[in-house]
Amino acid sequence: MKRLLKIFLLSGLMLAGIQLNGQSQSDMCINEYLVYNTDDFVDDFGHKSGWVELFNTSYGTVNIGGCYLTNDPNNLTKYIIPKGDVLTKIKPRQHILFWADNQPHRGTFHLNFKIEESDEILLVASDGRTIIDKIQIKKDLDTNVSYGRFEDGIGSKDGSEGWQIMSRTSPSTNNSGANKESASAVFKRIDPYGVIMAMTAMSVVFLSLILLYVVFKNIGKYNVRKNMERAEKSHGKKAAKAEEDTSAEIYAAIAAAMHLYTMDDESHDIENTILTIAKVTKNYSPWSSKIYTLRETPCKK
Amino acid sequence: MENLGLFSQLGDNLTQFLQYTGFANATWGHILMIAIGLVFIYLAIKKDWEPLLLVPIGFGIIIGNIPLFPGLNVGVYEEGSVLNILYQGVQQGWYPPLIFMGIGAMTDFSALISNPKLLLIGAAAQFGIFGAYAIALMFGFSPSEAGAIGIIGGADGPTAIFLSSRLAPDLMGAIAVSAYSYMALVPVIQPPVMRLLTSNKERLIKMKPPRAVSQTEKKLFPIIGFLMTAFIVPSGLPLLGMLFFGNLLKESGVTRRLAETARGPLIDVITILIGVTVGCSTQADKFLQWKSVYIFILGATSFVIATATGVLFVKLFNLFLKEGNKINPLVGNAGVSAVPDSARVSNNVGLEYDKSNFLLMHAMGPNVAGVIGSAVAAGILLGFLS
Repeated sequence: MKRLLKIFLLSGLMLAGIQLNGQSQSDMCINEYLVYNTDDFVDDFGHKSGWVELFNTSYGTVNIGGCYLTNDPNNLTKYIIPKGDVLTKIKPRQHILFWADNQPHRGTFHLNFKIEESDEILLVASDGRTIIDKIQIKKDLDTNVSYGRFEDGIGSKDGSEGWQIMSRTSPSTNNSGANKESASAVFKRIDPYGVIMAMTAMSVVFLSLILLYVVFKNIGKYNVRKNMERAEKSHGKKAAKAEEDTSAEIYAAIAAAMHLYTMDDESHDIENTILTIAKVTKNYSPWSSKIYTLRETPCKK
Repeated sequence: MENLGLFSQLGDNLTQFLQYTGFANATWGHILMIAIGLVFIYLAIKKDWEPLLLVPIGFGIIIGNIPLFPGLNVGVYEEGSVLNILYQGVQQGWYPPLIFMGIGAMTDFSALISNPKLLLIGAAAQFGIFGAYAIALMFGFSPSEAGAIGIIGGADGPTAIFLSSRLAPDLMGAIAVSAYSYMALVPVIQPPVMRLLTSNKERLIKMKPPRAVSQTEKKLFPIIGFLMTAFIVPSGLPLLGMLFFGNLLKESGVTRRLAETARGPLIDVITILIGVTVGCSTQADKFLQWKSVYIFILGATSFVIATATGVLFVKLFNLFLKEGNKINPLVGNAGVSAVPDSARVSNNVGLEYDKSNFLLMHAMGPNVAGVIGSAVAAGILLGFLS
């Protein structure tokens, strides 16, 4: 039975591992694209072409090596993102740019299709079947104008919600918020004296500890009542009351008395803060003697 | 001629060697910091002030301020050096949660469980953090820096390091040293504030003895405590999670070995590493600046505010409590955590006025509540300002 349980647990863990890997890739999304590029960014070869930007929405590194990008829903494995390239490990909340120039021999980030010839773009997981993200291409975009999510990683997959025509292209960088105010700056602006922070934070601290107080007050009451019931059951009401009255101070007094006792009769060793309970080495004791424990046969006279 | 060449070569080598020595690179800043390190060691050995912390920090300050020729790859800020690798635990913030696990494994929450209203004192004393935060803003610090400085008022070294590594890494050395220094100075800072804010009658209040706490309650405390606090402040997860986990190891009764490791060898190892590396991080060029002076002033202020609000809260609380259930305001200071020093201060001040009034066990309640409260406060600051 135990062996079965172990095998079950191990299989569960392995499955979770596989699932985790899948989940990591699923954290990627298509974030922005440019269809017609005549005067926008140029690639490493000095050429201008359309591009697709992917974004890692998670707070962990995602390796997209082995995933696929395609513009054909009937051919999900059209372009495989090469494995073993360190650049395919996308850091948390970072972007990666693919040039849709139909020139795959130029390197990992050059696709084997052109975006202007596509109706949609699909990002497919390394299993070649699971579609991680897909987006319909907006063909009526002006030249050098990109289409992207308002906020990185947020918005629908069909491009209807959370997407916009970008006021300026932002390949490999944040769609919005490049100049976003930091949380610290926001607080400096809205709460220059720290009053709001103090009131909010103290309320939360109190709320947390009041909740704990309420819960443990009731648990304590329940526990005391249960103990009383138990003691009543076994010793009667008086004993129960006595047990309820037994406080930590009484225990402390008992401990102190024992400590003083052991100090007096020299059965304690030299460390004055350690209570030593001496081991009884005497094998024979009248208390354990069979002679004294056996009862005499009653006289039947 | 050959001999002359040999001597000239020897001279060049010696001159070059001299350039590498600390003597050639020393500045008055290095000497001052080494002197501070020596003072820390002196206070720890001679005055017995937090020796487990001040000895490693003091020696770390000396190590960190040996004048170095740049590029030897031995300094704490030089990437890949031994000290830099050890410093990652501080910089990435994973030493403090491990210390919290040890604290959890060595803390007995019985006093708190038996009298849960003491939890509220632990909450009130956190006002020191936000009081210092407001003053730091007035001094011109940014909200992130002010939050990191304010946490000194939580009187919790690991929490201060954890938060400052996230919010204001540049100030971490000064904040950590300030937090640990004031924790060592708790017996000096707190009693005058406590005496000032309490009347003689209040100091003589005898509190109801705590009831005995069952093992089931002790086991439930870390689980329920964690769930409730972490759900409210998820950003405090590393600290709260490890604190309550350590306590569960202690109280579960079936993980004795793990609990002993957490509260023994593990916390000792991390304390050594955190102490030495935090000390090392106080290199003169980073540490000796006006900001550090302000941080020390604000640190002291936050301790005073935290102590005062803890004591005043108890006085206010007593207005609503029945006779016999009243709390001695001298345990209010213990809400600033600094376990167990501030509880000891409550006890000692109490004994000054009544030789039979032992407040230690009562003060341990707000004391451990202060640990939870400061971790929650750190989580809030992190959530708002990061």
